[in-house]
Amino acid sequence: MKKLIYVILAMLLLACGKEQKETSFAIASASWDEIIKQGQNQSVNLMMWTGDTKINAYMNSYIRPLVKEKYNIDLTISSGQGNTIVQILMAELQANKTESDLDMVWINGETFYQLQQIKGLYGPWTSKLPNAEFIDFDNKFIGMDFQQPIAGYELPWGNVQMTIIYNSEKVKTPPMTREALYKFAKENPGKFTWDNHFTGLTFLKALLIDIAGGNGSLNGDFDEKKYQKYSSELWSYLTTLKPYLWKNGETFPEAVAPMHQLFASGELWFTMSNNDAEVDNKIAEGIFPETTRAYVPKYGTIQNSHYMGISKMSINKAAAMVVANEMISAEAQLKKQDPSVWGDGTVLDTKKLPSLLKAKFNNQPNRKYAPKRSEITQRALQEINPEYMIRLAEDFRKYMIK
Amino acid sequence: MNANHFNILSNKIVFLMLTILPVGGGFVYAFLYSIGTIGILNNGFTLSHWVNVLTDTSFWFSLGYSFYIAIVSVSISILLALTIVLFWKKSLVSNNSIVSYLLYIPLCFPAIVVALFSFQVWSKSGLISRIVSHLGILTEITSFPDLTNDTYGFSILYSCILMITPFFAILFSNLYKQEQIDHLKNIAMSLGATKTQALFKIVLPVILKKAKITISLFIVFVMSSYEIPLLLGRQNPQMISVLAIQKLQRFNLNDIPQAYAIACLYMIFIGLILYFLFFSKSSTQLSVSPLKRNFDD
Amino acid sequence: MIRKALIPVFMLMVTFPIALLLLLSFGKSWVYPNIFPDQFTLQHWNDIYQINSELLMVTLKSIGISLGVSSVVTLLSFFSSKHISYSVYKSRWLFLAYIPYVFSPVILAATLQFYFTFVDVSGTFFGVILAQLFITYPFGVLIFSNFWNPRIKAIAELSNTLGGNSWITFYKVVLPLSKGVLLLCFFQVFLISWFEYGLTALIGVGKIKTLTLSVFQYIQEANIFLAALASCLLIIPPMILLYLNKRFIFTNQQTI
Repeated sequence: MKKLIYVILAMLLLACGKEQKETSFAIASASWDEIIKQGQNQSVNLMMWTGDTKINAYMNSYIRPLVKEKYNIDLTISSGQGNTIVQILMAELQANKTESDLDMVWINGETFYQLQQIKGLYGPWTSKLPNAEFIDFDNKFIGMDFQQPIAGYELPWGNVQMTIIYNSEKVKTPPMTREALYKFAKENPGKFTWDNHFTGLTFLKALLIDIAGGNGSLNGDFDEKKYQKYSSELWSYLTTLKPYLWKNGETFPEAVAPMHQLFASGELWFTMSNNDAEVDNKIAEGIFPETTRAYVPKYGTIQNSHYMGISKMSINKAAAMVVANEMISAEAQLKKQDPSVWGDGTVLDTKKLPSLLKAKFNNQPNRKYAPKRSEITQRALQEINPEYMIRLAEDFRKYMIK
Repeated sequence: MNANHFNILSNKIVFLMLTILPVGGGFVYAFLYSIGTIGILNNGFTLSHWVNVLTDTSFWFSLGYSFYIAIVSVSISILLALTIVLFWKKSLVSNNSIVSYLLYIPLCFPAIVVALFSFQVWSKSGLISRIVSHLGILTEITSFPDLTNDTYGFSILYSCILMITPFFAILFSNLYKQEQIDHLKNIAMSLGATKTQALFKIVLPVILKKAKITISLFIVFVMSSYEIPLLLGRQNPQMISVLAIQKLQRFNLNDIPQAYAIACLYMIFIGLILYFLFFSKSSTQLSVSPLKRNFDD
Repeated sequence: MIRKALIPVFMLMVTFPIALLLLLSFGKSWVYPNIFPDQFTLQHWNDIYQINSELLMVTLKSIGISLGVSSVVTLLSFFSSKHISYSVYKSRWLFLAYIPYVFSPVILAATLQFYFTFVDVSGTFFGVILAQLFITYPFGVLIFSNFWNPRIKAIAELSNTLGGNSWITFYKVVLPLSKGVLLLCFFQVFLISWFEYGLTALIGVGKIKTLTLSVFQYIQEANIFLAALASCLLIIPPMILLYLNKRFIFTNQQTI
């Protein structure tokens, strides 16, 4: 018994002494070659959402072997979404830690906003990367994240637009306006809904922008007056729609995955996705029926980008940058955009690329079922300030879920 | 200090370190966070988060709903388990029978799997709905009743019952043997009691009295369920773990102190229930079921 | 006999969830109102090892964690419980063990994450095992508290009076009597550890992967076929353990 206690104590002490690594490397002033030299043979822990088979396959069978072979970097992928990342980094900051468990994080606007609130991100760093030269930073859907300038604190990785997915066998003419949606739902009750998470809120934001007067009308900082005015109109519209939603609008699918399941089994006629190529993926996997199509209604949907950040207290920043640089190379981006791989839109300005690569991007096989990117971009809405989303989420609970 | 004393002392220290230290430490952290004294986004002492939680109906509603789910599912499970035990008591007593094997299989189902299974069976597009539709009773998928994500928590209850009944059945059959209930019953009947009298005056009271504490604990377990209501429940009313975690993980970082206030309240609530169970006059002997069911892995 | 005849019905009820999940794991596209999936395929079972080539390693590591936790808990709580049970203040001690026993692990983890980060054990195997001890050790103590009853105490004292030293008493008398309850504790703790999700995810910071964590990933995806397959993966190891162990656990329950 006594021995056991000693063993436990010894284990505790051992565990407390995690191996310390060299951190004196002055990365901010280092050249790219120095960064590569520092970064190779290290390990990087990337925390990302792992809820999609295709995305996981791309990371595990393409990016990981690539950085392993080229730089002998061990890339580990941990599963965790925005809130988990924020929680972990907050706990670390509170505990005054000097080394973070996370090196890289896959985030988008709302997490970026939260991480900037707690000052959890390292930066600016993106201009160091040689491959960043081709990134289309001037594009307002890429260089701005939820109305916040990314300012070198996160690296654009992919760009997507939300689409509404429907079963063309049941829905002959998908509703293009708010009025048409109301009419459709009234005639076909119980077939439409949105989820109570990120995707659903993105849909609500598009409606709010439409009510406020279309793209750009809510740009800039959060405006309480505008929010009050337009959101009350939104809730009154949604309240009239409510009885014709799935389960009479009394409850909503908890996340987008359960909503996809309801769609796949035929209980819903619509679902939605933040990835405009999702229909192709899901039909290929045999989850959605082949009559599934996607569209963007007249009032538009939000287009946004997703990014890579480096945690402020990461001790493998150099290695993280090397990995990030590979993730935005033209080859990696091309592969990622292939509908049979993932179908994620590139963040590169393909016009700037050397002609051979440009041709490859232009000749990439098209999506079979998803709408063309060039068509839906015309109806793309810019993300609005994250404060709008927080308020919408709160008021959604207050006015809709009763 | 001799070796024996050291032994006793060290064991008790280990005990305290592994039980009260984490719970106490967790409580202190949650409490300090909820009153704003720690937490990097907090601005110092405030009671506003507590006021918010206590005055918001959703917390009380959620507590009540959790209690409703727990009471109903535990009661039905007791009835089912008693039926199984009394019906198959001979096979159960003989240990190696197929029934006794079968009872153990559901122990291997974690909550998330049970939730997934229930959804595939009871949803509008689930197996039952498909079968009914094939029988021609149902013409439209929408006319199948709402049994998942419904107000009464039908599929939550179903899942909980599925998980608890085998436990109660095992517990009751052990008690049946342990308390030599057959023997007691025979005595009663030889003294002139009818079968029904023996059942209601001897068998049931003895088993239920012995299992009282375990039953109460299961009510608390079910109240803490997380995954089952997450998948099968609705946003309102919500069960308590779902409410707390949702406050902790949603978009508004300023909701986090409220989540910790709920965690504190829940710890206090559990402490009070246990205190009542253990130290009230009526509780005679402690007993614990050898089995634990995790509803919130 | 009705009793005999009803056994197959009962059997069907218990095995039905496994059958349905197994069936779905081979399915592809299940359009309403078809009762069976439209196509059957081995693809998912093949894919799962291709997509996640580490799955085998992860499985082995999870078995390691769960075996580690259940061994430590069984050993530690067996002895702690003896001293607690023979203490004058038995019920007060046990009261303390009951709180973590009934508390929600995921909420407990949320309140403890800061401490784990502070002492730098979050994201380590040790951290995960320690966190799992916090929820399983009290349970172990409670299981054994029924074993350490006056009868066992009397038997041990008798052995001592008859001349056995404390080692012999323990080895020849107490241990054989406790075999069943030890196995029961081991099996139950293994299950709790094996199925643990929320606590492991938070304290492991995603760095420590267990099979349950990987499986949750599939369940959270939109793909019910992969989710069903993942469920099968989760259920099988404990079923094997149950098959190996059940006889011991079942026949020795009178001691509890």
